[in-house]
Amino acid sequence: MLDILLTHYPVLTKGLTTTLVVSLSAIALGLVFGVLLAFGLTSRSRWIRWPCGLYRSFWRGTPILLQLLLVFYLLPEVGIEVAPITAAILTLTLNTTAFQSEIFRSGIAHIPAGQIEAARMAGISAWQTRRRIVMPQVLRLTLPPLTNEIITILKNSSLISVIAVTELMRVSEQIASRTFQPLETYLAAAVLYLAVNLVLAQISAHLERRLAGGLATE
Amino acid sequence: MPTADAITTPATDSRPIRGEPIVEARGISKSFGALEVLSDIDFRLSNSEVVCVIGPSGSGKSTLLRCLAFLEPYDHGSVYIDGQLLGYEERGGMRVRARESRVDAVRAPVGMVFQHFHLWPHRTALENVTEALRLVNGLSRHHAEAEGMAMLERVGLAERAGHFPESLSGGQKQRVAIARALAMQPRVMFFDEPTSALDPELVGEVLDVMKRLAQDGMTMAIVTHEMGFAAKVADRVVFMDQGRIVESGAPETLFRHPKSDRLQQFLNTWRERHID
Amino acid sequence: MLDLALLWETRELILQGLWNTVWICFLGCLVALSLGLVLAALRLSSPRLFGYPVACYVELCRGTPLLVLLFLLYYGGPSVGLRLDAEIAGVTGIGLYGAGYFAEIYRGGFKSIPKGQLEAARMLGISHWHALSRIQVPQMLRLIVPPGTNQLIILVKESALISIISVDDLTKNATTIVNQTFHVIEPYLAVALLYWMLIELIARGGYALEKHLANREPRPVTRQGESAHAHG
Repeated sequence: MLDILLTHYPVLTKGLTTTLVVSLSAIALGLVFGVLLAFGLTSRSRWIRWPCGLYRSFWRGTPILLQLLLVFYLLPEVGIEVAPITAAILTLTLNTTAFQSEIFRSGIAHIPAGQIEAARMAGISAWQTRRRIVMPQVLRLTLPPLTNEIITILKNSSLISVIAVTELMRVSEQIASRTFQPLETYLAAAVLYLAVNLVLAQISAHLERRLAGGLATE
Repeated sequence: MPTADAITTPATDSRPIRGEPIVEARGISKSFGALEVLSDIDFRLSNSEVVCVIGPSGSGKSTLLRCLAFLEPYDHGSVYIDGQLLGYEERGGMRVRARESRVDAVRAPVGMVFQHFHLWPHRTALENVTEALRLVNGLSRHHAEAEGMAMLERVGLAERAGHFPESLSGGQKQRVAIARALAMQPRVMFFDEPTSALDPELVGEVLDVMKRLAQDGMTMAIVTHEMGFAAKVADRVVFMDQGRIVESGAPETLFRHPKSDRLQQFLNTWRERHID
Repeated sequence: MLDLALLWETRELILQGLWNTVWICFLGCLVALSLGLVLAALRLSSPRLFGYPVACYVELCRGTPLLVLLFLLYYGGPSVGLRLDAEIAGVTGIGLYGAGYFAEIYRGGFKSIPKGQLEAARMLGISHWHALSRIQVPQMLRLIVPPGTNQLIILVKESALISIISVDDLTKNATTIVNQTFHVIEPYLAVALLYWMLIELIARGGYALEKHLANREPRPVTRQGESAHAHG
């Protein structure tokens, strides 16, 4: 396994980079849309809540592989030509938005209503309240489940190899078929995924400690 | 211990000889890391004696009781229950931790009631009481339930027998906990701040049960903040501070003529907050 | 709009895929639940001996994609003399992968039972074994149903990966239909709905189990219990 890592270092790194680029893009977009969807889910209007709920239900309740295949094969059908990597980022974003919306929705629900009431009574607008009172606390609260979701996206990125994106998994398959050493190659891939996830977990733990002060208590 | 086919009433028939120590502790010390919480404690509990342990938070009174029950191991000294060393064994001149079964055997005459009741939420009140009767004493369900109902009667909760703890008030939960401990026919009962977690209106019903137990001759060691109860029911009061026993004596003596400044301070603080 | 007749024509493939998905998921989850329990129990019984190995196993499952594990088993296996059928590789992969997550779920449930309840049991002379089996485990069961159900759902979704190692599951057969008929929406949508249904079933089952275990209606006390006391 070690010699595979050393010999094929350049391609593996390139694959890993693609993995990271795709994952991080999806995560970043997912954060933005996830928060928006969370607000949609908690909206007072039925007409906003229901479609949001339906979206969340579909993208959380079906296999991601299926979602990838669906988007990848569907887009050309409706006349949209995109590079596989774009289709991959799009699908992963659609998927993670659903999961992150649930994380944020739950985090928002944890903020005692009294704090929001106090802010409104003091004259702070609804939007400002969300931005300056609710969201900072929510970000702290949601750090652990968010980390899990980020790790999940990273792992899910291995699937985009199926739609011909040359990320880490795809590269590994190529190396394995060239060297006839599937065991060593996939072990090497596993080690790389593990390494990235461990680093992520450490960063998250560090962030958690630094943000530990000042959480809302029931 | 009751045999499987005998239905017994709570045992006050064979009153033990007054004066014989059931619980004896000598030179007990305990530390949590660098913090010494108990320093060289001597403690003795005789048959039918009721002792109340009082003191400020952090004085070590709960820790002492838990060490006497070996729920926490003590570092130095010896605890004897009915003359038997609790928690440790002497083997070839060395002291080693005793096996769990040995600890159980030595500890059998002791019953304990906790501040937070610790009833099992997935069992009804009656089932909480009969659980040990069936598992430890091997009673059949029929006999265990009969005994259990008798215990619940004794604490005044027979009509709540089929209810789960979550539908009982704090005072009711604690009384079920007392019934549960009594069911195993202990010769001495330990109470670790039994009323500290209760709303004020519910404290009385629990203290009443404890008072009756004392009147029936039960040997009791009670860690408590209820000075009124201690004054009326205790044979002896022990005042602890910072891991040591500062004063010990009859309640009238301790409360009216405290010898140490520390106790005087403690009583003053208590009186300020309780306009009796 | 949607060519539903297509689905009827290809129903054999769809049903075959459904069957494979169901039985492989079922066995895989069974393995995951059991192995996870064993791991949690080992860790609990001898923390010094098994604490570290089990923790490593859990981190491995959490840090690597199931796909890598499946590839290792199916493609890498022969290098060490392990020739598994794709379906068995699927069951094994899901089982080993899920076990790591379930071990954590069991541990979480176990830890959240207040220590005081066990102390009360010990003071009453109840043995460690009885305290475990009659006090801790029953309560733990109730606590782990929500995260456990959630994890089962995740495993069902992940099972779609076995299509990549050429198992004829729902996803693989859907792709086959797509390639044969050049219709994309109908097969994938139909299959998506089938997964969705499976997941709904598990979710409802979990919910029902939760309600059943949480049954807190007062239980009637037998007459004998009361009358025996009456002349006591």
